[in-house]
Amino acid sequence: MSDLPFDVPVTAGAGAGVRVGAGTLAGLTRRDAVRAAACAHLDRRRRLGRLATVMCVGALALSLLPLVALVVYVVSRGLPALSGGFLVHTPTPEGIPGNGIGNAVVGTLIIVALAMAMAVPVGLAAALFVVERPGRLSGALRLAADVLTGTPSIAIGVFAYLTFVLAFGYSGLAGSFALAVLMLPIMLRADEEAMSTVPDELWEAGLALGSPRARVVRSVVLRSALPGIVTGNLLAMARAIGETAPLIFTIFGSQFFVFRPTAPMAALPLTIYTNATEPYADAQRTAWGTALVLMVLVVLLSVAARAVAAYLHRKAR
Amino acid sequence: MTYRPDAAVSTLRTPEASSWEPVAGIASILERRRSRPRGRLYAAVRWGGAAVFAGVFLLLLVTLFHQAWAALAHMGLSILWRGWNPAKAQFGAGVFIVGTLLTTVVALVIAVPVGLGTATFLAGLAPRWVAAPCTVLVEFLAAIPSIVVGLWGLIVLTPLFARHVEPFLKEVPLLGALFHGQPLGASILLASVVLAIMVLPTIVALSRVAMSGVAMADREAGLALAATRWQVARKVVIPGARRGIRAAVTLAMGRAFGEAIAVAMVIGNNTALPHSLLSPGATLGSAIVNSFSEANPGSLEKSGVVALVIVLLAISVLVNAGGQLLLRVREEGPPPRGPVDGAVEAIAGTVGPAS
Amino acid sequence: MSRRHAPALLATAAVALAAAACSSTSSSTSSSTSSSTGAATADASTAPGGTLGGAANTSTPAASLTGAGASSAQPFLTRAFYDYSRSNHDVTVNYSPAGSAVGISDIQSQNVDFGQSEVPMSASDQAKAKGGPILQVPVDLGGVAISYNVPGAPKNLHLDGDQLAGIYLGTITDWHQIDSSIPSGTTIVPVHRADSSGPGYDLDRYLIDTSPTWVGAIGTSTPSKTWPKANVGIGQQLNSGVANYVKQTPGAVGYVEYAYALQNGFTNAALLNPSGSYVSPSIASIAAAGSHATNLSSANFDIVNQPGAGTYPLANFSWTLIYQKQPVTNTGIALGKLLDWLATTGQRNAVPLGYAPLPADAQTVAHTELLQLEDSSGSALFAS
Repeated sequence: MSDLPFDVPVTAGAGAGVRVGAGTLAGLTRRDAVRAAACAHLDRRRRLGRLATVMCVGALALSLLPLVALVVYVVSRGLPALSGGFLVHTPTPEGIPGNGIGNAVVGTLIIVALAMAMAVPVGLAAALFVVERPGRLSGALRLAADVLTGTPSIAIGVFAYLTFVLAFGYSGLAGSFALAVLMLPIMLRADEEAMSTVPDELWEAGLALGSPRARVVRSVVLRSALPGIVTGNLLAMARAIGETAPLIFTIFGSQFFVFRPTAPMAALPLTIYTNATEPYADAQRTAWGTALVLMVLVVLLSVAARAVAAYLHRKAR
Repeated sequence: MTYRPDAAVSTLRTPEASSWEPVAGIASILERRRSRPRGRLYAAVRWGGAAVFAGVFLLLLVTLFHQAWAALAHMGLSILWRGWNPAKAQFGAGVFIVGTLLTTVVALVIAVPVGLGTATFLAGLAPRWVAAPCTVLVEFLAAIPSIVVGLWGLIVLTPLFARHVEPFLKEVPLLGALFHGQPLGASILLASVVLAIMVLPTIVALSRVAMSGVAMADREAGLALAATRWQVARKVVIPGARRGIRAAVTLAMGRAFGEAIAVAMVIGNNTALPHSLLSPGATLGSAIVNSFSEANPGSLEKSGVVALVIVLLAISVLVNAGGQLLLRVREEGPPPRGPVDGAVEAIAGTVGPAS
Repeated sequence: MSRRHAPALLATAAVALAAAACSSTSSSTSSSTSSSTGAATADASTAPGGTLGGAANTSTPAASLTGAGASSAQPFLTRAFYDYSRSNHDVTVNYSPAGSAVGISDIQSQNVDFGQSEVPMSASDQAKAKGGPILQVPVDLGGVAISYNVPGAPKNLHLDGDQLAGIYLGTITDWHQIDSSIPSGTTIVPVHRADSSGPGYDLDRYLIDTSPTWVGAIGTSTPSKTWPKANVGIGQQLNSGVANYVKQTPGAVGYVEYAYALQNGFTNAALLNPSGSYVSPSIASIAAAGSHATNLSSANFDIVNQPGAGTYPLANFSWTLIYQKQPVTNTGIALGKLLDWLATTGQRNAVPLGYAPLPADAQTVAHTELLQLEDSSGSALFAS
């Protein structure tokens, strides 16, 4: 049986133009047989295709099922917790009303802002190095970035403890350092990717006009790579906000508003972690409320990252 | 397509005396105006960035090895198969390595078919009004912090598994042998399912990008030959995206190895070798979470826990670096991508928290 | 870059302003409502502090204290610090219930102002403390409940050492074997602490005393804070993890601080004590155990498995760990006064939460320890 992916064109009564099998009028039955086989083959392929599509739709449903179930559950248990001053109060002992996560929200914002301040410039500078000076050094840097990206965040948390905390004590800054180390290779990779898609002609045109290299980079390259850089950095930030492992060994937590980064602070993921296993009703409510807040924050940031990138991309054109 | 500034600059540095006197004059003026200090500052900034990055990387390796040295010297290579018993000064990672590998393998067995099926559907089989929103939805799953997934696994999935899923699985005719033992809820199986939920977005995102990258011309050729869309997917798209898919699975594996907190919440923390998928167990990550803080500073036990970090690091890095390499090496003639795609791909390679 | 950070900074500022506005009002409203296990309302005119430094010495310097340690003491400590801060606005205490071992390791590396441990530091622990000798101050008296979640089981299940050993060794696997009134087929799920703990130490000590099978299986008669049979059953972190797991798993049994069992409405087993009585955990039975503490000190702290008709066999004091030599004088004074208050007036928070009040002997030990506090030059901080 031939494996023909196309229909056999047969004009009734004509023997000419049919290049299958016999090719003579005497092969009418054979032609019919071949045609029937081809049609059956097509039907079988169509049925197989439909079955496969159904299975893939099933796979899609299976992918979306945990998402939907999780989001629905977090919202259903987290929303009631967001009553009153949940976002602005500080935690209170079990049974005493007025519980809140205000200090954790502030703590997360401060810690992540500091981490960004540490990681973004270094990522940009290192990416410029890698892109402008290809060679063994930048190859080594790329390898280092690959290794760092593959480092589990628990290892980074242990590293931050062994360096920062043992030297300076528990602090928000130690947490920022851990998050910065986490974000750095991601930012480097994203910046480098964004910059390397800028066409050579643009670089060369800027230099040919005699501008100093820094000027070329600033006004030409960064401007066109900006969408990719911004997306990459914001996505890295969105990821860092949700990380818990770098924080559990470094920031210690707090029940108060803390604005000094060199003191122990609270943060949203840590609040979830400490409250998640508490069996008390208040603690469970806090855990779910915080989970909802964190989830919304991370999703909003991811969406914002892509929106900003799309906007800048359009502007750059 | 890398930029080589030195080549461009060198042609500028020797402006040839041309017949166009004004141009040569302007060129020399511009050259003088190119302020040297600022150029040096810029180079310093670049070197500085590279140095800081390299410095942090080296510091990480040195610190971890330095702390782990005592235990590594004490145990030698036997760390890879001995058990964990601090009271008897035994800091072997054997049980944890088994737990890590087991949970990862089961997670991939669940996530890879589902992820590839989803990606295939989103990259080719689905009509556009379905594909676009579903792609966004799956990326939302990636954005959910892993502590939230762990919390949900602990509070919702643990009783569900203990009361319904695990007893059901024990009754399944052939596979049931894998699931013997009492259904406790917290188990290797539950940890694997939680890991699968976390790595699924990685697999879907990267596979989908890889599949979309297969040249339209090839796909259309298949369609023109009256192949069904599924045949195009199976024979053209998936083989064409082989490298990207391999990268996706490798990176998912790396992600699953490194997950610590969510696993510690649902795996049951039992230091015996698991005898079935329903046994509680422990992984490298969960052991580190449980034991690190409380080991006395400077003690052999602390060194032992950092040695666990080294073992985990070694496994994760090898797997992840392999995946990154697969992502970097491209086929001949890459499809044109904008700067955003590259960044998204870079992030997708590490998308989703992995605490 | 500033465009990216501006929203974050604005949000921080907005939240901070709102918080400042809110926190000044929250403290005055929260004292009027209290739950059934809430602390007695603070009398603002009562001077904080016990007798340390003389009754007339009522002022406490401002201090921001950090402490880490036992989750067993957390319900009491959190409520007591909250109580203290209402009459002492300048003293804030940030306590992290990460476990006794973390408390010890943090105070050894001087990362916190005080540690908290259910089992006092041994001599070798003390040797590793970077800042010199450590004072160990008893601040509460609690018990360890054996809580179980077995639908259809009697409320007051009797357990002895051998049965408990069988459960935690995995040799007894069905609740029917423990009590024939429970239908057969109910599997036992033993839950232990995955991290090292005081309650684990207490139970280990009890089993060593009462069950030769246990001693044979673990191979030693020295109790340990790390649970010796981590390859049987489920391990969970901290009291809260064990309590959470027992609460949601039918057939589970675990050991938790009595305060957690009380707060969650757990059913607790009655344990056999050396006098032959089966005693359930309660304030009275824990207090009876505490009364057996003669010559209490950090070297002589064990009150597990004490005789007496109404004595609960699983009880222990909780110890606060501070450096004798305080580098910052004000911190030292604030610590001393806080702990002195905790051991005396602060005990009003103990009973509502499920801890027995500290017996007078323990209060004397606390006072004597605190008198040894000295500043960086070596002179004592408190005269009497």
